[in-house]
Amino acid sequence: MLFLDLYLCFVKIGFLSFGGLSMVPLIHEEMLSHGWLTSAQVSDIVAIAEMTPGSLGVNCATFAGIHAGGNLGSLVATLGVLTPSLTLCLLAALMLQRFKDSPVMGRLMRGIRPVCFGMILASMVTLALESYAPAWAFSWQSALIGILCTFALIRFKFPIPAVIGLSAVLGMILIP
Amino acid sequence: MRSERLKCITTLFCQFFKIGLFTFGGGWSIVTQMQNEFVDKRRWVTEEELLDMVSVGRSLPGIMIANISVLFGYRVGKLGGVFAALIGLSLPSILVLTLVTYFYDAFKDLPLVARAMAGVRAAVAPIILAAALKLRSAALAEKLGWFLAAAALCLCLFTTMNNMLIILLGAAAGLLIRGGGKDAVS
Repeated sequence: MLFLDLYLCFVKIGFLSFGGLSMVPLIHEEMLSHGWLTSAQVSDIVAIAEMTPGSLGVNCATFAGIHAGGNLGSLVATLGVLTPSLTLCLLAALMLQRFKDSPVMGRLMRGIRPVCFGMILASMVTLALESYAPAWAFSWQSALIGILCTFALIRFKFPIPAVIGLSAVLGMILIP
Repeated sequence: MRSERLKCITTLFCQFFKIGLFTFGGGWSIVTQMQNEFVDKRRWVTEEELLDMVSVGRSLPGIMIANISVLFGYRVGKLGGVFAALIGLSLPSILVLTLVTYFYDAFKDLPLVARAMAGVRAAVAPIILAAALKLRSAALAEKLGWFLAAAALCLCLFTTMNNMLIILLGAAAGLLIRGGGKDAVS
């Protein structure tokens, strides 16, 4: 059943993501395997989520939920992505002190953080390939925009919404 | 007492609605906003309590700012506080994104919009790269980190192993491998 699938899928995404953009690889994998979004749409939602207020998780869940199952779909997906907060984190709230000093948590994160880092880089490579060489045909225009944006972000510390605005304007001018 | 509690819940909802509306990307600005509002102005919690909530919230799976809201909501208003904070935080996202999604679907096939979106897609890889670089010091604090990150990168790119399994392997490695660095890198 669609709504149950959608809910469980976002519960899984929620429980497996640890901060920042570590949700992107999971969303990419799940959305494509269910056929709810295309790879280009996953790129779009990452950009949209960075430009709009709120967390990447709720923003992605709303977008993907609407595409998979309309407004009800978006509520179900959002509820799914918030489930870890409403279960595990609520449990932690009941015993905040004991949780804070738990060495097990620290050791788990010692392995999980680097793995998430590697996974984020992998989804960067995948999305870059899709954008700069769609169907293995190199697009110099997209690659140029990518290089300019990299410089703007890392060298000149532009804020992300400004970079997204810049890339949209460059796309209108350069992309055939 | 009842009306006092109602007032507390309403304040929580309104404040978190505001935070949800003005938190862009990543979510670290939530800590600054909560500090201003709840530590300095209202004195509901101490700075140390807030820092504890942040460190627990970010080490648990899920959305970091949602986790922090749950911890804070519970501390201030028990279960009612949890729901007030969490719904307040998520509602702006849901409303804005619903609107944006319908606009996206309506306009994405116009030639000019399609070209702008192709440009934006070219910016996504640099955005992810920049975000990853910010995580580098926490993720790659020791040699083990470099090894695990490289292994995860290769598994993702060159095999069809699913992400859940890769994360579980990472967690197992963190638990099992001792030495070679601090035991708990927080």
